[in-house]
Amino acid sequence: MNELLTQQPIYVVLVTALIVWVGIAFYLWRVDSRLSAAERRRQQ
Amino acid sequence: MLAATILGVLLGMWPTIRRGRPAWWKALAIVAVIGTIVLSLAPPTAGTLTDAIIVARAQPNSVVPVLVTVTDVSNVPDSTQTYSATVHDARTTDHVATLYFSSLVKSAIDEIGGRPTVVHVRRLDSDLAFHAEAIGPSDPFLTLPYIPGLEERARIMYYHVPMSWVALVLYIVAMVESIIYLRKRRPEADRLAASAASVGTLYTILATLTGAVWAKYNWGAYWNWDPKQTSIFLTMLIYAAYFVLRSSIDDAATRARLSAVYAIVASVAVPFLFFILPRLMPGLHPGSSDDTTAGPMLSLKSDTLNPTKQVIFSLSLFAFSLVAFWLVNLRFRLGQLEHVEREEAQP
Repeated sequence: MNELLTQQPIYVVLVTALIVWVGIAFYLWRVDSRLSAAERRRQQ
Repeated sequence: MLAATILGVLLGMWPTIRRGRPAWWKALAIVAVIGTIVLSLAPPTAGTLTDAIIVARAQPNSVVPVLVTVTDVSNVPDSTQTYSATVHDARTTDHVATLYFSSLVKSAIDEIGGRPTVVHVRRLDSDLAFHAEAIGPSDPFLTLPYIPGLEERARIMYYHVPMSWVALVLYIVAMVESIIYLRKRRPEADRLAASAASVGTLYTILATLTGAVWAKYNWGAYWNWDPKQTSIFLTMLIYAAYFVLRSSIDDAATRARLSAVYAIVASVAVPFLFFILPRLMPGLHPGSSDDTTAGPMLSLKSDTLNPTKQVIFSLSLFAFSLVAFWLVNLRFRLGQLEHVEREEAQP
């Protein structure tokens, strides 16, 4: 894996982009889960 | 680039950060994000023949992508497998050299004709002779400059730098809202401060992770205790303590008051950690005390960064600012809803 990233630098950039978008998506998913839970509680 | 950040922040907070975002605003944020992804990843990196010569002096057998036009293809005398052609640097047409290539790339060279093409070249025994190792795209819409030593990895900057800049902006928003809370005792301001600090911490973590990837493949190790790396680590600890403080106090008014005071004190430390400390000490980041420039973001010289990179960098700062304020808005509205729930649950 490390060898691939060293020899193909564009994959290092892809990994970086992936870290950013996965991080933002994870945060969004957490907010969405809490929002859904709050909505369910209100409906009950 | 600073203008793009300011525009992103103003638009991020417009018309008010407390209500849902209008449809056109969301569409603009999505377009900016898609534009950032495409422009940061799609354009090929291509230098000049001069870049290939400079790199070859340090690393003799290195292969460098260059943007050239190839003309006058002919057979090399006494060889059936080797061909030669004239190459012109596509950007500075006065640089002319001879390109040698094998029959493996002959058909690709025949196809490109005289069009500007990215060719991966290796310098031979003279500054006027190169060998074509591979053929890249022809007529590229846009090319990124070749930076010796960084090459493709220079694109990480479009993700790493906006993360830390926007985190700084969000910590300032948290400070402003904390001051508003202490002056007017509006619980909304406290919730907005917490939302901004929350997204700011997310961006700080992402800046640290992307910076670690950069450090590994450009400086040799994931973590070097460079002054800026140390500063961002301290910033993460400071804001982690902010959330520990918030979660440890049950009474809402006390929590809001103490958190506001803490956020103001923390935000005083942030500019020192982001700007002053790394500039006082020698380090690996641009703008350190042993660097002669202020770094690409703060330099007043317009030629510090290539114009193409400036445009993509500005778009990236704009897009990540909008995404950040969108997340702050969602987090704030969730906080409001949970607050209403708690109010209703009380007897």
